[in-house]
Amino acid sequence: MTVQADAGFLEEADAQKSNPEIDLKRFLVRLGFSVVILLVVLAVGFLLSPYAPNEPNFLDRLSPPTTNHWLGTDQLGRDVATRLLYGGVWSIGLAFLITSVGAIVGTAVGLAAGHFGRAADVTLMRVTDSFFAFPELIAAVTIAGLLGPSTTNMVLALILVGWMKFARLVRSLSVDLAHRDFVVQARLNGLPSRRILWRHILPNIGPSLVVLWTNAWSRSILSISGLSFLGFGVQPPNAEWGAMLLDGKAYMQTAPHLMIFPGLAILLTVLSINLTGDRLRDLIGSNELSAD
Amino acid sequence: MLSRSQVFTFILAFSRRLSGLLCVLFGVSLITFTMTYFAPGDKASAIAHARYPDAQGFPPEILEGIREEFSLNEPFFVQFFQWLSRFTQGDFGKSFASNTPVWDIFVANAAETFSLTATALVIGLVFAFGLSSIAVWRPGSLFDRISVALASIGAAMPNYWLGLLLILLFAAHLNWLPAYGTGSPSHLVLPALTLAFWITASQTRLLRAFFLEAKAAPYIETLRLRGVSEAEIFRRHILRHAAVPALTMIGLDIASLLEGTVVVELTFARGGIGSLLAGSVLSRDYPMILFLVLFSAVVYVFINSMIEILQEIMDPRISIWSPQEAVLPGEDR
Repeated sequence: MTVQADAGFLEEADAQKSNPEIDLKRFLVRLGFSVVILLVVLAVGFLLSPYAPNEPNFLDRLSPPTTNHWLGTDQLGRDVATRLLYGGVWSIGLAFLITSVGAIVGTAVGLAAGHFGRAADVTLMRVTDSFFAFPELIAAVTIAGLLGPSTTNMVLALILVGWMKFARLVRSLSVDLAHRDFVVQARLNGLPSRRILWRHILPNIGPSLVVLWTNAWSRSILSISGLSFLGFGVQPPNAEWGAMLLDGKAYMQTAPHLMIFPGLAILLTVLSINLTGDRLRDLIGSNELSAD
Repeated sequence: MLSRSQVFTFILAFSRRLSGLLCVLFGVSLITFTMTYFAPGDKASAIAHARYPDAQGFPPEILEGIREEFSLNEPFFVQFFQWLSRFTQGDFGKSFASNTPVWDIFVANAAETFSLTATALVIGLVFAFGLSSIAVWRPGSLFDRISVALASIGAAMPNYWLGLLLILLFAAHLNWLPAYGTGSPSHLVLPALTLAFWITASQTRLLRAFFLEAKAAPYIETLRLRGVSEAEIFRRHILRHAAVPALTMIGLDIASLLEGTVVVELTFARGGIGSLLAGSVLSRDYPMILFLVLFSAVVYVFINSMIEILQEIMDPRISIWSPQEAVLPGEDR
């Protein structure tokens, strides 16, 4: 973490001595590797665990951390560590899915608004603005609650409330790019507009999109856990970090480990994704400067 | 004096903005209504259950009567416009659950939410302002690093978990403050701190960045060479420079505070708009849901428009009325 915190202060020196574009690529590769490694660790840990996430053991209820149960057991005697690993796949994976679908929908809307003329632009952006007007969590609670609390409905609700950020960003960037020299040049050379879109507009939007996507991913983890904690998301007995917190809340005094570990897992995951996003933004920021 | 063409531009830009705002408000009500219209479950039986809580089943005639009464058999757009015209005239309907006007229930709960958000906002902003202005005094110092770390942790902190931790520490172990419920000011402390922590985190980070940016402006160095004191520079120039972006972010935070109250009110089992919404959603109290969701969206839109106008007043370089004809400093209007 200290390395990340230092990054901001060293940014100036960094930008002078190294090529930002290579840095960015190297960083993205590293980011991809770490995500893969993280998922592998979660999966292997889960497979190696001698316990099943939803298997009750009434002889060993509410046990504090011991050598058998590293993070203790819950009110049904289920192993907290196993449930955390299993729940992590839900929290992180669902957030990944929600954010990716949101990014694709938002990008499509944003590009359409930026490229299909004024009428499409005005209509699509008014629709985007209207969706944007709802505070995210309030809309998500309402949609998930009205559809009936379940994992699928929560995912649907979070996709519905999450795509607009991408639409706005993509629209403003693509309108901006459409007036840049290299795009005008490409158009004058008679390139079909679909080719311009794929070869010139999208690759230039890419980096900013990845930053926003990272940001949205971590927020999504918080939303999933929040909705599950409030009872509108992943339902018991399924392990999800927010749902585990809800379970642990009732046993706060006798077994505080039930609420401390899931919360810590959320905090650390979101923190590391955020710091990654910050570093990414710094790299892309210096990249843009050097391009001009 | 404004020339005639400038007045014309002004009116044109104003009406364009107003029409945009009306479009968004219309879109927002359409989305809200669609959400409840297509929600699964029979609305007539939801109303019947609310009316006769003791009854077990309902004969089809009663359900049909209710459908007639609430125009549930009409097509989507007829129902939508009927609802919208009543709504715009200030008739928000009656809650299914308690059969009292939605507005009365809202007003009864609004005070709770308002006192919570206002307290949190004041505490959060005071801390954020203090932390960030000390932090930028010496960028890179230990205090600066601590404030940056605190801001990062705060942004990643799930507020429901922070609430639980505070309950565990101050209510369960130390027994200083009540954990759940509403009533005395002491009930307000833990929920307000939970929300305030998040505001402090997000605002410290932003204010620090704005202050640093303002500090890096070349004219600050000039002022320093002229012998203006550091305190004077901070107060008169850096603060003012950072005010416009900071104001924008604070405005957006107020809007997100609405979201935070849902979580915090439910975590601490408090009354208020957030827990009212969650309860109404679970009991399918449609008039209440429609009102609360639309209310939150309108507040959001309203705050955003206010910010834009305030930005223009505070920063003469931004002209929201005619972006192409923005007047730069030194130019005559």
